[in-house]
Amino acid sequence: MRSWLIIFIIFCFGCSLNGLYAQGTDHSTYVQNVEKGFISLFKGENANAVKAFEAALAIEPNHYEILHYLGMAYAENESWNKAVEVFQRSIDIKPDNIEVLYSLSVVYFKLNQWENAVEPLQKVTELSPRHARGFELLGKSYVKLRQYAKAIDVLKEAIKLRPNAAQNYNEIGTAYLNLKQYTDAIENFTKAVKFGTPDFADPHFGLGTAYMRIGEREKSKAEMQIYQRLQQNNVDYERFTRLTRVDPNNLEGWSGLAKVLMRQKKYNRAILTLQTCIELSKKQKAPPQTLAGFYHALGQAFINMRYPKLALEPVSKAAQLMPKNALFFNTLGSAYAMIGDINNAIAMFEKAVELDQEQPYYHLNLSKLYQSIGRHQLAKEHQQLYQDLLAKQNKTK
Amino acid sequence: MKVRLFGITFLLLLLTLAFHIEGDAEPKENKMLLVSAGTFTMGSGNRALDERPVHKVYLDSFYISKYEVTNSEYYEFWKSLQEKNEKTAEVKPQHTPENFTHLPHIGNWPERAKKFPDHPVVGVSWHDAKAYAQWKGMRLPTEAEWEKAARGYSNNLWPWGNALKPNANTAEDNDGFDNRLAPVGSYPQGKSFFGAMDMAGNVWEWTADWYSDVYYFHSPKQNPTGPTEGSWRVVRGGSWIDKLTRCGTTFRFYLYPTLKTSFVGFRLAKSVEKDKK
Repeated sequence: MRSWLIIFIIFCFGCSLNGLYAQGTDHSTYVQNVEKGFISLFKGENANAVKAFEAALAIEPNHYEILHYLGMAYAENESWNKAVEVFQRSIDIKPDNIEVLYSLSVVYFKLNQWENAVEPLQKVTELSPRHARGFELLGKSYVKLRQYAKAIDVLKEAIKLRPNAAQNYNEIGTAYLNLKQYTDAIENFTKAVKFGTPDFADPHFGLGTAYMRIGEREKSKAEMQIYQRLQQNNVDYERFTRLTRVDPNNLEGWSGLAKVLMRQKKYNRAILTLQTCIELSKKQKAPPQTLAGFYHALGQAFINMRYPKLALEPVSKAAQLMPKNALFFNTLGSAYAMIGDINNAIAMFEKAVELDQEQPYYHLNLSKLYQSIGRHQLAKEHQQLYQDLLAKQNKTK
Repeated sequence: MKVRLFGITFLLLLLTLAFHIEGDAEPKENKMLLVSAGTFTMGSGNRALDERPVHKVYLDSFYISKYEVTNSEYYEFWKSLQEKNEKTAEVKPQHTPENFTHLPHIGNWPERAKKFPDHPVVGVSWHDAKAYAQWKGMRLPTEAEWEKAARGYSNNLWPWGNALKPNANTAEDNDGFDNRLAPVGSYPQGKSFFGAMDMAGNVWEWTADWYSDVYYFHSPKQNPTGPTEGSWRVVRGGSWIDKLTRCGTTFRFYLYPTLKTSFVGFRLAKSVEKDKK
């Protein structure tokens, strides 16, 4: 009898342990999936992030934060309707979470449902009067809804929170343009150009339109030309971004994106993109000239950001891969010169000239450095060569 | 007889579970480093938008911990809470770090406290970090304090300078700890101007501040303590799952304060008492 009792107790204990273990396993799976979700989201692997967060929430459905991240992953994946549904679930759990309300309105805006965007944005700006992004998107939504006076008021608030924001000046300019207040429109578009990045095309279109309306045809034409040139870069940017998103191993896409970013002077992003190009080139065993080209461009980006020391390593690698490429040695020379290592800079410029004697600028660089160390005769000779070659090139053109 | 044998086996099993904590490594001493009073440059003009504008910030002297808080340090806090719980018959374990069964290099709590005593504690929420800091009579660093401790008076991309070489545990390959956490202080070359270690990589670090992308436009010039409200807390420094570019001294990131992940830990700060300045 006693032994049966012991067996019964052990059985009961085993059952309870089993229960605990099952609960632990479920939570472990939840944790594992949340982690997977974050890592995928940070890497830009949004489809994997969606799967992982969904799997986590299937186990523990009431985490408003994880619902927010899942919604972000859906939004990044352009699954807008799913994003709305998930953000709404998060809001149901925590109705005053301004960041989810904001994310929801971003999706409505993307879906061109501007009226739907307004309500959560009004709540965001009420709950958090210093939420610049909330005011900005609310202003943009009012512009889309043709409520221009409201848009101007809200966007002026946004500018108080984020001074010198080009996008806000552009939106205010658009509102004034539609109100036919051209002087105010021009003033705001001009500020948008002033404070914006060099690739910001829209205010040039606004300026072109405003000048046209007040009869300033030449000014209008000039602005429209700038707009078209910048717009082409932006179209390329969109195309290559989409290409790399659809196929993250598409080297041509990454390469095209890097070129556009360099043209747009977005060197930070260009550096990241070029690093991806280099990794992919190695994996895909691309020809050495391709890899060298990426290393060189990476060095150029560092130089343009005034980090010449960081340029040395990638450009040296480019020169090792293509030891007859004069341009790479010239770039190396420039990096050394910027650091103040004149001896190495001269050696590199001399090598560039040795490899390509017909490029006038290599002579000019060499001439300047010879001058700086007092070798005036050599400096003079290369200065002369520079001028002769430049004249010859101009004649050919 | 058989029942007795079973009982002994069962008891042994329980004992094994209870004393599963093992390991005999001496934990590292986590000194508090003095960051002298003065003005430094905060933010950056050519990186992410939320790092703008570049601005000068004056901070009073403060101390910052040399390392991220380790498993063994956090274990002392957790153990004291367990003991307190036992006395008050409170069942729910407070401030227990999350388990990472699927990541053997981190593992479960409290086993990992003895197995990896020098690893930074992870799986802790902002609230856990704050509670630990208070228990130690300290606090979390403000975002400004964190940035000053990481970059010193330079404009360097990383605490050690601008060189790309791996002086930190990041997602880049061949940094010595690929796809796993590193014990604190594994990269002495990567220390900051003030001597703080691992301010790039290994784990993101909770700071005291709420996140706002426009805070730098309006922050006080002296001893800023962050916005008064928000949804996210600022984390700094990047982690073992992040590319080096996300581990920069000015890079700002933000997470819900309730999250407990394998890539976020924290370090401590303390004000210098006025009379000791």
